[in-house]
Amino acid sequence: MYLPKSWSEIDVLQFKEIRELYSIQEVFTREIEILSALADIPSDDLEDLDISEVSEMLAKITFINSEPSKNYKHVIGEYHYKPLNTLTVGEFIDLEHYFSKDYNQHVGHIASIIYRKVMTNDWGETVFEPYEFKPSLRCSIFDEVCINDIYGILPEYLAYRDSFMTTYANLFTDEDGSEEDEDEVPVTSDEAKEIALKKSEKKWGWERLIYSLCNEDLTKFNEVTNLSLIMTFNMLGMKKELNV
Amino acid sequence: MVTILGREVPNQLNELTVQQFEDITTIHANQELDAIEKHIDVFTLLGVPEADWDDVSIEEFKEYVKQFNNLSGKPELQPSFEHMNYTYTAFDETFKLSVRDTKHIDKVMHSRHKGYISEMLAILFKRTDLTKAEHYADAHIKLKAKIIRELKAEIAVPYLVEVGQKLAKQMPKDVPTEVVE
Repeated sequence: MYLPKSWSEIDVLQFKEIRELYSIQEVFTREIEILSALADIPSDDLEDLDISEVSEMLAKITFINSEPSKNYKHVIGEYHYKPLNTLTVGEFIDLEHYFSKDYNQHVGHIASIIYRKVMTNDWGETVFEPYEFKPSLRCSIFDEVCINDIYGILPEYLAYRDSFMTTYANLFTDEDGSEEDEDEVPVTSDEAKEIALKKSEKKWGWERLIYSLCNEDLTKFNEVTNLSLIMTFNMLGMKKELNV
Repeated sequence: MVTILGREVPNQLNELTVQQFEDITTIHANQELDAIEKHIDVFTLLGVPEADWDDVSIEEFKEYVKQFNNLSGKPELQPSFEHMNYTYTAFDETFKLSVRDTKHIDKVMHSRHKGYISEMLAILFKRTDLTKAEHYADAHIKLKAKIIRELKAEIAVPYLVEVGQKLAKQMPKDVPTEVVE
């Protein structure tokens, strides 16, 4: 039975399978399921063994308790890493969507937004392909990529996101400057209505933002989502500060 | 047996039932009770009413606890037991803990519900006339656990020790994810 020795032998598909098994609460059962996934054999085949025999195997896969490498590759086949400071509004919204779910299960979706095809324009500059594809249709391209090659984009995005949210904190708070309180309990019917409205605004937050940036003209939807994220938020920050 | 305040109290593993042993374990695991309350609850469970302790000095109480905890002998692993003409076997020659049994024990231990000791033993002891599929059926495990609760604790304790040692030695530690650069 061959067992991989490190994350460098694990592809994205296996990584997702292993991370999904982390939801098993019972430690031993979880490790056996991970062992069978890594050895590519049914867990039933391990069940008649004595635990001393499997513990030797488990000792060989302790790397699963660590994170894969954070040193991601800048080029994966024909796809090139697109620096996060060049994200567009649309790319950012979709990344937020995948990160708000279980991002380990969406590594391929996230990679398909961050790694893009490139071309050289007439001026000799590298230009990234436009974001005109669905990540769900492209994510499988990364299934067989070594997880070490792309895992690092996850913590890097999270760090970038933290910094972004701090920079534009005033755009993510209520008019009165307070942050949202998930556990807010209404006392009066007016408060209940207000909380319901806040929840509704949160649910449609990005749609409201785009609708507002489109000046309520939906034909401009793609134009807005293709705007630079940083430029857009700088402008929104300026508008809020100057109240214009 | 020990005599406590004029009452015969079972304290040896061949006197206590598995059910009583489980109840004692539950009392000792209760973090809301202090040491004295735990001992009083154990004695109450075994037939000494709480009110009987009202006029007992702390020195006397400590002496009773000492007598109660004085266990003689060290029971061995019993490979099997008989019940209603059926044989329940845990091993033939040498006790081995299979991955399948460990997975089921892991589930029972994780839930930490009352009665998990007898359920753990119910996983280890298999009725010889049944198949693998039936050994682990939930209803059958519950039935075996009920039978085991009526047995003496001397059958349970050696398995608790043995399984505990094997798990401590072989089981992976639930370590947090570390970052590897």
